[in-house]
Amino acid sequence: MRFLLKLAWQDLRGSGQSLWVLCACLVLGVTLVAATGGLYQQIREGLQADSRKLSGGDLQVDARARLPSEAVDWMAARGQVSLLVEVDTMMGTASGDIQLVEVQSVDEHYPLYGELSLDPPLPLAEVTRKEDGRFGLAMDPVLADRMGIRIGDEVEIGALLLEVRALITEQPDRSLSANWLNSPVMISEEALVDTELLQPASRVHYEYRVRTDQDPDDWQSALFTSFPDSDWEVSTFLDRSDRIGERLAQAGSALLIVGFSTLFIGGLGVFNSVQAYLQGKLGTIATLRSVGLRDRALAIVYLLQILIMGGLSCFVGAVLGFLLSLVGAQFAATQVQGDSVLGSALLPSVLAAVFGLLTAMTFAAPAIGRALSVDPAVLFRSLDGVETVTPRAWWLATLSGAVLVMLIVLMVLPDPIFALSFVGTVLGLLVMLEGIVRLIRRLALTMDTQAPTRRCFALHLALANLHRHGSALRASLLTLGSALTLLVACTVLISALLDTIAGTIPEESPDLVMYDIAPGQREELVQNLVDRGAVRVDMAPLVQGRLVAINGASPDLDSSLDAQREARDEHKLTYRAGNIDGVTMVEGSWWPEDTSDGRAWVVMEDREANQIGLEVGDLLTFNIQDRELEAGLTGIFRQQGLQTRFWFEAILSDGVLDSYISRYVGASFMPEKSAIDAQTEIAGLAPNVVSVRTADIVATAKDLLGKAAAGLAVVSAVAFTVSLLVLTGVMASHRSRQVYYSTILHTLGARLSIIRLSLGMEYVLLALVTSIFALVLGVLIALPMLHFQLRLPLTFPVWPALVAAFGVSSVCLYAGADYLMRRLHLQPASLLRGQ
Amino acid sequence: MIRLNSVGMSYPIEQSRVSVLKGVDLDIRAGESVAVIGPSGSGKTTLLLLLAGLDHPDAGTIEIESIRLDELSADELADLRRDRMGIVFQSFHLIPSLTALGNVTLPLEIAGDSDADAKARDMLRRVGLDHRESHYPMQLSGGEQQRVAIARALVHSPPLILADEPTGNLDKDTGSAVSNLLFDLHDNLGSTLVLVTHDESLAMRCDRQLRLDGGSLVEGRAHALSA
Repeated sequence: MRFLLKLAWQDLRGSGQSLWVLCACLVLGVTLVAATGGLYQQIREGLQADSRKLSGGDLQVDARARLPSEAVDWMAARGQVSLLVEVDTMMGTASGDIQLVEVQSVDEHYPLYGELSLDPPLPLAEVTRKEDGRFGLAMDPVLADRMGIRIGDEVEIGALLLEVRALITEQPDRSLSANWLNSPVMISEEALVDTELLQPASRVHYEYRVRTDQDPDDWQSALFTSFPDSDWEVSTFLDRSDRIGERLAQAGSALLIVGFSTLFIGGLGVFNSVQAYLQGKLGTIATLRSVGLRDRALAIVYLLQILIMGGLSCFVGAVLGFLLSLVGAQFAATQVQGDSVLGSALLPSVLAAVFGLLTAMTFAAPAIGRALSVDPAVLFRSLDGVETVTPRAWWLATLSGAVLVMLIVLMVLPDPIFALSFVGTVLGLLVMLEGIVRLIRRLALTMDTQAPTRRCFALHLALANLHRHGSALRASLLTLGSALTLLVACTVLISALLDTIAGTIPEESPDLVMYDIAPGQREELVQNLVDRGAVRVDMAPLVQGRLVAINGASPDLDSSLDAQREARDEHKLTYRAGNIDGVTMVEGSWWPEDTSDGRAWVVMEDREANQIGLEVGDLLTFNIQDRELEAGLTGIFRQQGLQTRFWFEAILSDGVLDSYISRYVGASFMPEKSAIDAQTEIAGLAPNVVSVRTADIVATAKDLLGKAAAGLAVVSAVAFTVSLLVLTGVMASHRSRQVYYSTILHTLGARLSIIRLSLGMEYVLLALVTSIFALVLGVLIALPMLHFQLRLPLTFPVWPALVAAFGVSSVCLYAGADYLMRRLHLQPASLLRGQ
Repeated sequence: MIRLNSVGMSYPIEQSRVSVLKGVDLDIRAGESVAVIGPSGSGKTTLLLLLAGLDHPDAGTIEIESIRLDELSADELADLRRDRMGIVFQSFHLIPSLTALGNVTLPLEIAGDSDADAKARDMLRRVGLDHRESHYPMQLSGGEQQRVAIARALVHSPPLILADEPTGNLDKDTGSAVSNLLFDLHDNLGSTLVLVTHDESLAMRCDRQLRLDGGSLVEGRAHALSA
């Protein structure tokens, strides 16, 4: 073994530099996988941690009354439970100022995730306990500032007078990006009872937050099974991740797809590099065999060489990828916990290195086997054009390596369906390409036997190059075709994602959004806003209702978990009102112009409609305030953009909600300075109205998504360039034998121009076939990924896909052909000299 | 048929140039067979390269059938080889992915001959390999490969045959059979044959023997020249 290692090392020192393509492919491939994997992991963990904090737990069960004790016991047996009671009510100050607030009472387990911070830094229980016959409270500092409240002041909530003892500086389950609710005021459970707000008709929310190690979906299913007749709303922390988080997670997934595609393309580069390297070693191999070195020993020598070069390259790639992922995470500025960064980024880097090395060995195996099949007899003849074949044992070794890589991919990737689809896609792709290869061969052979093509030598040669024994067609098409297909798929995914990211921030967002506007306040508010320079003010009713029947039948509770959950949820209903949410129809249409027949019509949000399984034409029955309302579903719409508006789930035809309306929401478009003034004005004019300025949120979201888009574009551009380089190298290396053939032809009298023409024809044919194939298949692969993996609308970015397919194939083939053409400034003298 | 006037040729070796041919003058008549012998590195193959138009002399001129090679473009030189020459290599240089028939057909197909297959089959029959036409080069013995190479060189009846050590890679018996074939075809076609060889007996079968030594060409009988 020592001798073999020494031999491998000496041989490598002498000629290892020709393995630079292998090293480049692996370094770049592993760097991208490690960087994207690390970044994905950090984004995912950051978002999940954020989502858990925002949700207050892994799951939340929301009810209008306290849950029965058996339900609470059931939950407590499956995790830690914390109860938060919320009630929206008015809070008055000593000066007579009144403001709508969200009174919250929490138990000792609150918060299940994160920390509650108060100013002064006291425990909540201490702040809210009864002292000197008076309960205390902690409140939102912005509200305190707006109402001119200081620590020690007294406020009135319901029937109770409470003392303000602290301000809430950080509350983990509240964030501007999650929900815009009324400002929080935290009091004790005893105080809440004493306020006498908990009356039978009052709008009280009982939120049971659960922290559990169980899978949230499994937990939810078990709850529905155990309590089938309950109408509690259940949500998991994953449901709460907002649109920004969704985009970042999508960017992470897309990065991973790009990374793996690049590694696969890099693998093809490895195969070709090793093949080219060993092709130059045929004489050495034959000589070593002729002096008695056994096949096994020879195999070890060359495997050791690949292991050494591959190992070093993968190590370098993993280190680079690790560093890049750290930089990327800082760049994306996600809320990542400091102590989890190292662990989050390190594991993907190690795995990327292992994948890289395994991929290298797997792709190198057939090339090594092929080289080792060389007969020492060639030493006595000529090495020119020696035909080698990969022995069955080496194919089996390759297959085993591939299976191992796939198994590890399936085991370690966070999303096994994604991993399985990636592996399945690559395998299916190779099978289809093999079919295409055979088809082209047959076609070329048929055409080549026709008299017209025989008369044109260049065309005949081009066709012969495609169909003849040992033609480079298979290698070229399998390599270029599979790589190009993945590139097209990635391009479609990335383009669609970039479009979506760009569209996530609406070009025009309202500057001020308002909640809880009483019907009698509408006109006065609108007038006030217009006076302050608003260019547009939209008002729409907000009515809550539950979907109780579809076409007269109850929603199918045996169907998916999502459907069960959606069927339990209360939906936010409204009127079209100038399309206040800026929605776009994706299926069906708005209702008919003429609604004089009195029929009610509705359009639903796509996510709700898809989860429940609604179809245009269905008759939906809503339960609103214990009355039933039937409406025909005419269309399905999509919410667009950042959640700067209201996220209505159903929009009904004008008039049908009139008898249910008790509050409105509004959006105003106005200069930022005016929005600040208007907010203060509204607080005085209508204290019950909650108003939120969106400028800061939009700016933050723009910044975050802009960085994500830039990162995505940079990584994609790097991957694209890498692929281009690898493929160009591949195309050139595959054609080295063609130089030899062409030299013979030129020596026999074929003009260089004819040889070049035939090569040109062959390459154009290849480029055309490969591009069309890659375009069609790439799009077919991308669309399901867009829909199922990234959950993006099914769009087909035509130009990026066309440029990727035709551009890359043309550039690669042109560069390969150019390399060949330059080599075709032949030196036929070498033939006569027997070199 | 062939005229060389003061042809000189040198190759760069590190910082200097080594002269291989120095002022070579030569006339070869149509139909003549000429053997060029000499020690290794004496410039035999270089002379053949120059005659084939695959390399250009540093000095002097070469004429084939009164056409000056230095006045022809690369494409015109290729046409000249296609129409007027057949080249036989020591290492055969058959295209491994083509069958014996495919290899022999090549020069005719390059020339756009519509009857290529029939002529190639006929030539394969003449070299005794009609039963091996669908075999690939690796499936043929060394002697058979060289016979295919000769068939390829002669299938289009070229007026000039250039052969570089045609029996150099073959055993004595096979070499003898191949050389018989080459000379028979040369006689039948009436072509001019320029043969580079170390084989004295093969050289003796040519009409003239030329010895290259120190860059100069000396004419004389092979056995005397090689002494």
